[in-house]
Amino acid sequence: MSFSIDEWFVVTLARTIHDREVVFHGFGSPCAQVAMHVARHTHARDMLLVEGATYAVNPDPPFIPPTGNDESLQRGSVYRMRIEELFDAAMRGDVDRMFLSGGQIDAVGNTNVTAIGPLDRPKVKLGGGGGGCNLAATIDHLTLWTTRHRSGRTLVEQCDFVTDMGHHTPEGSRSELGFTGGGPEWLVTELGVFDYGGDGRARLRQVFPDVSLADVEAATGFELEVGPDLRSVPLPSPAELAALRAVDPLGVRRLEFSPDELRRTFTHGEAAGCTC
Amino acid sequence: MAFHLNPDKLGALDAAAALVGDGAVVALGGGLSARLPMALVRELIRQGRRGLHVVGSAHGIDVDLLVAAGALGVCEESYVGFEQDLGLAPAYRRAAERGEIEVRESCCVTLVNQLRAAELGLPFLPVRGVKGSDIRRLHPEYGEVTCPFTGETLVAVPALEPDVTLLHAPLGDRRGNLHLEQPFVFDERFAHASRNVVATVDRTASTEEVAAAGITVPAHLVAAVAEVPYGAHPTSCYPGYAYDRPHLAEYVEAATAGGEALAAYVDRYVTGAPTEEAYRKLVGEDRLARLTRWSESTDAWKELFA
Repeated sequence: MSFSIDEWFVVTLARTIHDREVVFHGFGSPCAQVAMHVARHTHARDMLLVEGATYAVNPDPPFIPPTGNDESLQRGSVYRMRIEELFDAAMRGDVDRMFLSGGQIDAVGNTNVTAIGPLDRPKVKLGGGGGGCNLAATIDHLTLWTTRHRSGRTLVEQCDFVTDMGHHTPEGSRSELGFTGGGPEWLVTELGVFDYGGDGRARLRQVFPDVSLADVEAATGFELEVGPDLRSVPLPSPAELAALRAVDPLGVRRLEFSPDELRRTFTHGEAAGCTC
Repeated sequence: MAFHLNPDKLGALDAAAALVGDGAVVALGGGLSARLPMALVRELIRQGRRGLHVVGSAHGIDVDLLVAAGALGVCEESYVGFEQDLGLAPAYRRAAERGEIEVRESCCVTLVNQLRAAELGLPFLPVRGVKGSDIRRLHPEYGEVTCPFTGETLVAVPALEPDVTLLHAPLGDRRGNLHLEQPFVFDERFAHASRNVVATVDRTASTEEVAAAGITVPAHLVAAVAEVPYGAHPTSCYPGYAYDRPHLAEYVEAATAGGEALAAYVDRYVTGAPTEEAYRKLVGEDRLARLTRWSESTDAWKELFA
């Protein structure tokens, strides 16, 4: 069975979700959105999936549309939260996991979705953070992701602007600021997977088989720390791939990847060698 | 926030939009590509409104078009853009990068609590987040408060009472009762916290019909209502119509080019279309009707987004 990097990437995101977790993603995040449905149809059947910008609980969309606020994302749900209902649950600590990305992600998991460059005259004004700067404080676990690691501009030592706090900022650590959530747990990129060490810094744990350590080093703007047991990213199962293809027939997950990345395809045979 | 007891608020779109003054704090209803109050946005541009201060959650073409037309002074939305699909908001981005608008980017959760404070008649509410985020640098008005019970220090955010909320609903009556489909996004909170709600509806109906569908925003919160079919176009207003993705792409292309291309879009679809009837003709009745066919089959629905 062959599959492409976007599929493997989404399955890897899905595997950061545990069964019986309450999980939320924002908007403008098709990879995380598809990943939640993959998890719910495979290993996390009793998770509580709160759908992006509709706040529908456990919907079964006929397809994932290219916008986060569409009626298709409510289909099959028997209950639809209000936006403030989800926020309240998150603030009191009842949401287990949220997915977050950023134009910049720094070594300790702070993310920037506000602006690149000085704030008064930014080089690039990004879209903005939605509810992130409060939600990141109290949701138990954060799965960060980016599909733009290779650009060399995304993983930086320090964000130009911290929209959503990771493990610490100059203001202090999460516990010093009274945050009740645990902060970033995973960072999944198109090159590999990081977790976070005791000092709150990202640590490379897995790489995709067509990626070398030198590739990751060249693309990473902070000093690369490598875990002692570095290994290849575990392969997606046929069941996971089938769930993914069923839920995302329009392929909106692919919107997050550059055309060059999308040429990366793999097969289950031959030790998951790259066929590109 | 005084209640509006006039029994008949149905009027023309231009009169409804006239309730929004230059420099007003305007809460925009809906979110992203759904139920944005586009007919009101277009009418405000036609009327030459300036210096608007918009507040809200995650928005797209409504804010970008106001920026493109020079109607916006301050932006306090939590997000402005076209998601991963069509990308950054071109006019908003350009104006922010040139320092032509004031960006007071906010957080949805903070905004909800600011609106709740206004609803409660309280001067502020505390939030647990925000600390550690540079969003705080954009809001010198935030304070800190020490909890008298636990001693915890929390960020205090002031009550937010918008001058006017602009909503679009699929269904409403002459009195101003509005039925919305979920997600309501901030629309309920906006309606209760604002001084005025100005609404457009795709269709007016009897109070009995609106009540049977379910009243989301009650008449006593609404100052004016105008009937404007497809008033959310090019965004969606279910159960009526899906969003017009090709139209959004057309807008984003013009706005990205800027200059004459963007001026041509505004001239063609907004200032050059003196009424919403003219706008619908320009867009094309066939094209609008196609957006209503989302419910015929999953394939028909998917095709709209392919």
